[in-house]
Amino acid sequence: MGIKGLTALLAEHAPKAFHEHEIKTLFGRKVAIDASMSIYQFLIAVRQKDGELLTNDAGETTSHLMGFFYRTIRMVENGIKPAYVFDGKPPELKSGVLSKRFEKREEAKEEGEEAKETGTTEDMDRFSRRTVKVTREHNEECRKLLGLMGIPFVVAPSEAEAQCAELARGGKVYAAGSEDMDTLTFGAPILLRHLTFSEARKTPISAINLEKALEGLEMDMSQFIDLCILLGCDYLEPIKGIGPKTALKLIREHGTLAEVLKHLREKVAEKEEAADEGKKRKGGVQIPEDWPCEAAKELFKKPDVTPANELELEWKSPDIDGLVDFLVREKGFNEERVRKGAEKLTKFLNAKQQGRLDGFFTATAKPKTSPAKKDKAEEKGKGKGTKRKADDKKDAGGSKKTKKK
Amino acid sequence: MLEAKLSEAAILKRLLDAVKELVSDANFECNEEAITLQAMDNSHVALVAVKLEASGFKRYRCDRAIPLGVNLGSLTKVLKCAKDDDILTLKATDDADILSLTYEAKSTYTDRIAEYEMKLMDIDADTLGIPDTEYDASVTLPSAEFSRIVRDLSLLGESVRIEVSKEGIRFVSDGEAANGNILLRQSAEAAPKKGSSGVRIEMNQAVTLTFSLKYLVNFSKSSTLSKKVQLMMSNDVPLLVSYEFNQGHIRYYLAPKIGDD
Repeated sequence: MGIKGLTALLAEHAPKAFHEHEIKTLFGRKVAIDASMSIYQFLIAVRQKDGELLTNDAGETTSHLMGFFYRTIRMVENGIKPAYVFDGKPPELKSGVLSKRFEKREEAKEEGEEAKETGTTEDMDRFSRRTVKVTREHNEECRKLLGLMGIPFVVAPSEAEAQCAELARGGKVYAAGSEDMDTLTFGAPILLRHLTFSEARKTPISAINLEKALEGLEMDMSQFIDLCILLGCDYLEPIKGIGPKTALKLIREHGTLAEVLKHLREKVAEKEEAADEGKKRKGGVQIPEDWPCEAAKELFKKPDVTPANELELEWKSPDIDGLVDFLVREKGFNEERVRKGAEKLTKFLNAKQQGRLDGFFTATAKPKTSPAKKDKAEEKGKGKGTKRKADDKKDAGGSKKTKKK
Repeated sequence: MLEAKLSEAAILKRLLDAVKELVSDANFECNEEAITLQAMDNSHVALVAVKLEASGFKRYRCDRAIPLGVNLGSLTKVLKCAKDDDILTLKATDDADILSLTYEAKSTYTDRIAEYEMKLMDIDADTLGIPDTEYDASVTLPSAEFSRIVRDLSLLGESVRIEVSKEGIRFVSDGEAANGNILLRQSAEAAPKKGSSGVRIEMNQAVTLTFSLKYLVNFSKSSTLSKKVQLMMSNDVPLLVSYEFNQGHIRYYLAPKIGDD
């Protein structure tokens, strides 16, 4: 899923794009969350001690509902207003990847059967997690639950990440919440990761700023999309023999993907000639025969989404009786806990929100003293090499380092 | 280089107590005229701005503007070693790697000179431009009274509604179990003078705003610096809480709580 190696690449070349937040500093923000991925996450992560999925008395899975209910409440408690986006039809290009995933799942299933006979419980656990599949029922139940909770959701015409990005771009929400890096490729200005993680893990929320990422990579959006395709996305087979480093180098050297491909094809041809002569094995770069990169690029640039201004996100009071009916009677949840959760939802959705100063005061370029300081730092850097510049590898806004003397 | 001599260490100690709850690291910007500090809390809800005028120091010299990046926790520790009435001298060289603090005891019994040095940091923070705002309402009240009000109300609820009207200034808090409100009327004097200790209200129009008490309680720690506090408000803009003292001022800005849009 997502873009191969993009996180690492950004961490190396555009560290300023990353920013870690505690969940409580995100209050008042509206966030569009990729629901389909969240369901996966919950089915995989929300488990009993023995690694089995949570079920009700009738044996129906409830892991996903558990996840949606409590983690949504956690966000709401922290003042975040979540909206969920569900996947629609996958784009045709994705069928290749999807069938591969299906194969893998089948494989895991078989291995799982085998493990059941021979392996340890640990093995079994691992395989059962790999065989997770989100069904239509899961999706429908989650939508029903969100409706009862008063949380808005959108069913995307196609990819959920793309719709999240559209909502963020259109200003309907502050950021897109997903683990998938291709949300950035779809043009989400800010991507929040780890938003739906369990509280117990205490993972800080990592925010990735697209603009800063582009700045760090020294690219425009079109080149960034090219880079993502070259790195390996959901729609195309990756080119064998090109890793993140080579990909970045190639795009930087040649500017566009088309040029890169031309260059690669030439090189491959050269190599083939050489191989014929020297009877060496053909190695290195292999471009798949059928590689519709233009189509993939088009998909990233103009994904099939509902325009943000046609969507209204509305947070309503939860239907407490409805929730009890659904979660307690049908799905066997503890009534007291459900009622408590619903109470929290009511309380926080109606509470007054703390405002921020950002809207009132704007950052001035840099204080007057700064240029002097910068000169000095440079002088020093050359002279004695003692002090590194603040801007060198810092996140904006308050990171620091003790000076060495 | 910077060399600044304060006749009493207490000022800096109190300033730090008033700032360190809000931010952990900040730049003291030093130039010819003053030492200033501006910092915003992590969640960008409150901003603190401090100014120490050069004229407020016993001796002050700063040849070129230098930022001193300070970890406020560390500075607090170093300042703990000073007595309130010690004469305090701050020194830093132009490369601003180290801040040195000298405390000279005033006591006649011992001739004590203590020297401390602390490491400085590079802090990369944006400075915010604060527009000059004409506020609709300005209320001056004794700082101890303000501290008591926010402390009392913070026991009841999370936020306080401040209403300024012809009647006076009213602080209202609705908690889950209890609620309360405190009204301060304009002091009886016909035209209260600036120096008087009562409550003085100037307003163009009635203002009602809601704020988080947690932050106000933090701000009220500055009451050790000044006997009076000024609250400046306009609808839908941040509150300005200002404490003026001999050497300068400390000002806090707090974003209001906003209703559902």
